[in-house]
Amino acid sequence: MKFTDEMLMAYADGELEAAARAEIEEAVARDPVLARAVERHRVMAERVRGAYGDVLDEPLPERLAALVEKPEAAPVADLATRRGERTTRTGGWRLPAWAAAAASLAVGFFVGVFVAREPAAPYAESGGDLVARGALDVALTSQLATAGGSHGVHVGISFRDRDGGYCRTFQLQRGASVAGLACRHGEAWKLEVLAAAAHVDGELRTASAIPLPVLQAVDAAIDGEPLDAAAEAAARDAGWRNTRNVAE
Amino acid sequence: MSTTSPDDAIRGELAGLLPRLRRFARVITRNVADADDLVQVAVEKALARATQWRPGSRLDSWMFGIMKNAWIDEVRARRRRERVHAPEEAGFAVGDASAAAREIALSVEAAMTRLPEEQRMAVALVLVEGLSYRDAAESLGVPIGTLTSRLARGREALQALLGDNGSPS
Repeated sequence: MKFTDEMLMAYADGELEAAARAEIEEAVARDPVLARAVERHRVMAERVRGAYGDVLDEPLPERLAALVEKPEAAPVADLATRRGERTTRTGGWRLPAWAAAAASLAVGFFVGVFVAREPAAPYAESGGDLVARGALDVALTSQLATAGGSHGVHVGISFRDRDGGYCRTFQLQRGASVAGLACRHGEAWKLEVLAAAAHVDGELRTASAIPLPVLQAVDAAIDGEPLDAAAEAAARDAGWRNTRNVAE
Repeated sequence: MSTTSPDDAIRGELAGLLPRLRRFARVITRNVADADDLVQVAVEKALARATQWRPGSRLDSWMFGIMKNAWIDEVRARRRRERVHAPEEAGFAVGDASAAAREIALSVEAAMTRLPEEQRMAVALVLVEGLSYRDAAESLGVPIGTLTSRLARGREALQALLGDNGSPS
């Protein structure tokens, strides 16, 4: 009788039905090669388990313990603050809904700054939305990411959202550096998120200059992967029209 | 707030489970800080949908499944960022430096980092967390045969990386 290594593994893990188990048991008793193979699986299981055993004895980080305490002990605002700190530090992880609220606060703040300081603001309000104007509108409509910065605007990634519409990230260098995400709605680029970007001496294409709220907005909106250069050019040439049939 | 919300039932159970969630996270993220972030995200998600958990069913398998999905999302998001923006400065730090000087453990951890994601998850659930094949398959949302073959391939790879005769000690 021949046993596959998978069967021997399942036997070593105690996963076999009684009949199969008895069969292997008998074979193992007679065949030292088989016995060694089973033993090898057991030893490996032991080694792997042993390698991570210490994690269980580590003291729990306070922020994790606080999560499962009574709700009063972990008020949402406090949690959100902590998450924010962590997220900034590690440069990863999506934030929950409050991030969206923070992002719209950022919009309010920067609109204020721009409207106050810049007579030719790159955005304007239109029907309750914020839409791109001037150099930003031109760049979003015509500029490819590979073109680099032009007229103070650098376009980052382009992608399709879940409704099939096109969105693009951008950065502006006008006094303060601001980054954002714009999505095509009809004939306009609606600004979904704006956030402060690090000021980087005229060099716009810097990873650290893409602020977290923008990355998070991309994560939340994107359907699949970003457009590659060819798809980006094709979408531009087609006027960024949503070609997906959204009949429902 | 209300004391009868479904997440009250889950909180106590989760508290006892945290050490194991951290361990599982450590295995799949290969990084202490990421691991705790993953636990935090998963616990928040679990509390947000506490009503989906049926009391009496296994909370650990359910949590491991949430963690797996959250980690896959995170890895995809990172890959996207790396592709689009300049690479972030640091790579993965492996293991916990404070638990140093255990040669065997370190070599197992190092070998684990080289397994493909799905094999590492299978190994983590069955060998480290001690789940049955059935529970592990359910956590990962795959048929039991798929789990078994991932586990077998993962072990084979570990065997090749760590040597055939088990622990050198």
